[in-house]
Amino acid sequence: MKLYHAEALCMFLGLLPTAALAAETDQPSGEQQAVSDLDLPYVYTDWQQYTVEDGLPNDHIFAVEVDGPWVWIGTEDGLARLDKRTGEIRSWKEEDGLPWRVVSALAVHPDTGEVWMGMFGGGLARFSGGRFDHFHQLNSGLVNDVVYGVCVENENIWAATTAGASRYNTQTGEWTIYTEKNAPMEEIWNYGCSYADGKVYLGVWGSGVLEFDIATEHWKDYLDPDGEMEIDLYRDDGIVHVITTGVSYVEKTLWVTTYFGASRYDGRHWRGYFQKDSGAPSDFHNAVQARSANEAWFSTDKGLGQVADFPTDTWVVYTTDHASNTGQAVITRGDRVLETRTIPPNIPHNYVLWTEIDGDDLWVGTSKGLAHARGEGFFPGLRRASDESSIQESEEQETDRGGL
Amino acid sequence: MLTGLATLLAAAWGVSSTAQPREPVYVGVRVCSECHSGPEAGHQFSTWRLTPHAKAFATLSMEESTEIARLSGIPEAPHTARVCLGCHATAADAEEWERDETFLIEDGIQCETCHGPGSEYMDEEVMRNRELAMERGLKMPSGSTCMVCHGPKGSHEAVLSGEPYDLEKALQTIGHPRPESPPVEASTRSSETEALLGPSQHRFTGAMSCAKCHSGPEMGFQFSKWRMGPHARAYAVLGTPAAREMAKRSGVDGDPQASYACLRCHATGAGHDATSFDPGFDFRDGVQCESCHGAGAEYSLEAVMLDRPAATAAGLKDPGPDMCAACHDQGHAGAPFDYGAAVAKIAHPKTPMTVGATEPVYKTPINLALTPDGSELWVTCEASSSTVVVDTSTQEVLTEIEVGGQPHDVTFHPDGKRAYVTNRLDDTLSVIDVATHKVIATIEVGDEPHGVLLDAPGELIYVLNSSQDSVSVIDAETLQETRRLTTSRVPWSLALSPDGEQIFVTNTLSDFVPPRTPPMSEVTVIDAQRGVVEDRLRIPAANLLQGVAWHPSGEFAIVTLNRTKNLVPMTRLLQGWTITNGVGIVWRDGRVDQVLLDQPDLAFPDAADVILTADGRRALVTSSGSDRVAIVDLEKMLSMLEAATPEERERILPNHLAKSTEFVETFVKTGRSPRGITIAADDKTAYVANTLDDTVTVIDLKRLAAVKEIDLGGPEVISQTRWGEQLFHSADITFRRQFSCHSCHPDGHVDGITYDIEPDGIGTDPVDNRTLRGIFDTAPFKWSGLNPSLQRQCGPRLAVFFTRIEPFTPEELEALELYITTIPRPPNRHRALGAPLTEAQRLGKAVYQRTHTNDGRLIPPTGRCINCHPGPLYTDRQIHDVGTRTPLDSKGEFDTPHLTNIYDSAPYLHDGTAYSLEEIWTRFNTYDQHGVTNDLTKDQLNHLIEYLKTL
Repeated sequence: MKLYHAEALCMFLGLLPTAALAAETDQPSGEQQAVSDLDLPYVYTDWQQYTVEDGLPNDHIFAVEVDGPWVWIGTEDGLARLDKRTGEIRSWKEEDGLPWRVVSALAVHPDTGEVWMGMFGGGLARFSGGRFDHFHQLNSGLVNDVVYGVCVENENIWAATTAGASRYNTQTGEWTIYTEKNAPMEEIWNYGCSYADGKVYLGVWGSGVLEFDIATEHWKDYLDPDGEMEIDLYRDDGIVHVITTGVSYVEKTLWVTTYFGASRYDGRHWRGYFQKDSGAPSDFHNAVQARSANEAWFSTDKGLGQVADFPTDTWVVYTTDHASNTGQAVITRGDRVLETRTIPPNIPHNYVLWTEIDGDDLWVGTSKGLAHARGEGFFPGLRRASDESSIQESEEQETDRGGL
Repeated sequence: MLTGLATLLAAAWGVSSTAQPREPVYVGVRVCSECHSGPEAGHQFSTWRLTPHAKAFATLSMEESTEIARLSGIPEAPHTARVCLGCHATAADAEEWERDETFLIEDGIQCETCHGPGSEYMDEEVMRNRELAMERGLKMPSGSTCMVCHGPKGSHEAVLSGEPYDLEKALQTIGHPRPESPPVEASTRSSETEALLGPSQHRFTGAMSCAKCHSGPEMGFQFSKWRMGPHARAYAVLGTPAAREMAKRSGVDGDPQASYACLRCHATGAGHDATSFDPGFDFRDGVQCESCHGAGAEYSLEAVMLDRPAATAAGLKDPGPDMCAACHDQGHAGAPFDYGAAVAKIAHPKTPMTVGATEPVYKTPINLALTPDGSELWVTCEASSSTVVVDTSTQEVLTEIEVGGQPHDVTFHPDGKRAYVTNRLDDTLSVIDVATHKVIATIEVGDEPHGVLLDAPGELIYVLNSSQDSVSVIDAETLQETRRLTTSRVPWSLALSPDGEQIFVTNTLSDFVPPRTPPMSEVTVIDAQRGVVEDRLRIPAANLLQGVAWHPSGEFAIVTLNRTKNLVPMTRLLQGWTITNGVGIVWRDGRVDQVLLDQPDLAFPDAADVILTADGRRALVTSSGSDRVAIVDLEKMLSMLEAATPEERERILPNHLAKSTEFVETFVKTGRSPRGITIAADDKTAYVANTLDDTVTVIDLKRLAAVKEIDLGGPEVISQTRWGEQLFHSADITFRRQFSCHSCHPDGHVDGITYDIEPDGIGTDPVDNRTLRGIFDTAPFKWSGLNPSLQRQCGPRLAVFFTRIEPFTPEELEALELYITTIPRPPNRHRALGAPLTEAQRLGKAVYQRTHTNDGRLIPPTGRCINCHPGPLYTDRQIHDVGTRTPLDSKGEFDTPHLTNIYDSAPYLHDGTAYSLEEIWTRFNTYDQHGVTNDLTKDQLNHLIEYLKTL
């Protein structure tokens, strides 16, 4: 990490403005233009909100997972499934066979459609064809029943639990436990997991991020080079903190959230994000979901934040003010606010627990319901508005559409 | 040679009293014998060499061993079978690293079987400190150690004559004490004998070296034949008092094993100096191959051996009478040497031996299917590992295709060009070119595959992995598995809806249900477009769902089922008290109706398969327990259902014995134990596989009568085993033919149900159904352990508590027992014999064998897994109280179950209340009565489970 910090420092001090100027905008490949304040990201303005009044079993939304036409929703008191085609919501509570009321994590097996859920105090469950199969500490090899995160890795299911990680081979029935005994876990309180490209990442509360290579079955740890200091002594020298709450690994890029900031790692370089000097709405992050190496969504206690374009450090933060029944999308670049747009109410509550990317759309779980953002006309990265008037015009159009 | 080997090894390995202890490994008897031989050690090695233990591996080559294996349902050759080797060879199931290079499995039952792997205690200094030696792995066996292998075994008693095993007598035979005052005299070989003849022209390599090639059935078990003969004991016999006397009379003072006068005829190579022997040669192997065939170091190379002149030039000799006479004419027998008789006794021709069943090879047809053009009928034949093809125009056998072990089901690609056969013993799928009848590919699928079909476009193959509760979905073009879906317990058969949108899968075992709850089974519904499970339909109070077929309208499917009343004591069979039999009507919208095919005076036991006519008017259902096919008028059946109230449909009709008379047109008699059934596309002809007749019944659907039986070419003779198989599958033994043995033990296995059998009060003494696979030598039987034999289990007791008519005759009982014991044992899918353990399995083995808790407390022997579950059967066959008694149990002591393939027979414990292996210890071992386990960490328990799965 020491080697990288010097390099990163040079970049930060010397190259960043150049890099920002040299960042690609939405131009045909091969042509690069200097980015200007007119190069702006896509802003979601079409939101719909769902609460218990719409049929959700509970408003505390811990997890959302999209599988084709279904949106699976894990709440504090039940599992729900929203049919995107009809808007109909169906719920399962304990009386309907749900093994445990608190569904804290969701993952859908891409091949079989089986829904795996982590339950806070109830272990793991598989929901398939209307049947719940329950795996807990007593009847299986699951290490602990307090499950924070779950992910699918080929024929294996990973559960991030409060007492280590469990890996369940669904074909052989073998359970493997990872704790400090066989993994570089300084703490064993696993918060989240993510799998892609042959690697499983665990976010561990107190142990940073652990990377498991499934081919070699070797571990690699990512700890805060600053130790357990609550400040980031050297910028971009590694993960910003070890109290990790979420991980998302996409396009060989790892995005990490902690209670003290967020990080991005492309395999060589780290980038830390703090509220004080970036567009992040807060340093207290609950989860992260990345769409690409350049875009990620951060679920924080003060709103929904998006790194819309990594090279230019462009953020969009969504919040809702229920008192005035308005919403806001704040576009920043670096530590500058480019634009503050008034949009319709978006997320039902600014305490955001989970974000799920569904093609161009988003589903956002909060402490007061679920939000659905329709991404009509979505584009990744930035797009140049022709001039100020064009920007004004597009804002007015969006307001007329009503959003909800 | 091995002189000083133990010392050298100990030094090389750093074994000493002060060295850090390591994981012990097996070193082999030859290392032990470095110290434990000669007069000063009481000739311990020679004593062992003269016992049956030393021949134990070699005896597996005998025909009797093959027969014993067959009787036990062991499909492998005895010398490769885990169960056999477990008692016939030391460390047979150990991993490669656990056997040092000095260890030879051919030495049979060696010291370390009883005394533990010796690498860490073999050092003399350690050995002399008994306490330290025991810390390092030395065990001092007791009689119970012997009884693990020497307990009564029905399989051996059935084949071998001789006295029953007498432990006291046996201990005297194998007893090998060290003399308190060892004689002071030369031991082993002395330089005096070595120098007599000087160096040999060719070097000796030793019988164990020859054994590397000259062993096994393909070489006529040459090594084993030698090992069982007197030549192999020739050196050892010199250590006996009788030999000493004989030597004295011949003028030889001192140890005969040190005298050239004796050794020249009792040990190969005697008299030659040390340069005459390759490393590994052991003169203690007595009269070895090279005594007759010449010193072999130069001709033993295969290339030389195969070139006779070259081999001769390199020292290979053709033995003749003179060679034998050199020793035997001066023998001690007194009688003239009969060369011819002696040669006949030791003859070891290199004649390949076929190791296998001596039983006739039957066909045992299970399922059948017509090619899409209807020109051929393909029949899977489980016992002959083949698929028989019948020409439907001539109704004669056309050909027979060899496939994998125990083929179960067959289906065709919609284009008719390929056929697919599941092989449930091999866990494979055979892909066959229909035109050429040749197997073109064999792919691995999950465990114990049963049903198979293709989706409508022929793009995906669905294979039911019955032992893994899953479905393999395979790309038909690439033959690669794309995903694996979860079913319920033991998926059996499947059928595609007429519109190609859904697949219904029957699961033959009930789901796990709470105690004192009726069974609840599942029909798994697969979305055939997406290849995922979309629904699971509940079939209440039913089990043994097997056959399934769709109505051409696509509105419903019919499944065969049993309705087992396991919650009430089997006090009677009248009026369907224990098991009723029928079908389920599974509607597309998820509703389920059940009706019985039983009638008040005669049941329809073991409904196995169903097919519907293309016009949707009729369903044909086979009853493998009563040798009949029921012809069901579907219009009448559906009318009956429609006329009934919801209450009647739910509660009355599923239990109404007389209703079948309203919709069963007739019953058609078939051959024995009909299972699979299919119908020609024109609805004129039905074909039924008669499993235990090796025939196919042809039914004319216009006349509703059987018109022909197609002979599939099985043996005409009915062996005793076959007769037993027929009895097992026939419900003739029960009152009004309510059920057969197969009803509760499909495929000789379990039905996953806990029963209340005896009339001692409702719910009292519930017992989990146990598998019949591999039970022969695990007496006593019954959870209470009250039945000492299978004949007792299946004899009068069966009639009193189960069948309620005349019991089996003694002849029938004998045949039935023979069949039950020979039910083939599936291989352990988690570990082949001798295969390396995974890390988790190895750690689990350590838990299984542990003697101390995590904090160092000694675990008493009764608290150790291995104490009550020692290999190779993993039962000590004793009754124990492991603290699992519940208020429903009259007693708390139960027979120790064997653990072979335990992963495959959930639920567990006597009352079936542990649904997983974990629960045995997480929920039901609060006071460490079922092994000391409460100090285990969660990962230790996981490791233990992984190891148990390998047994």
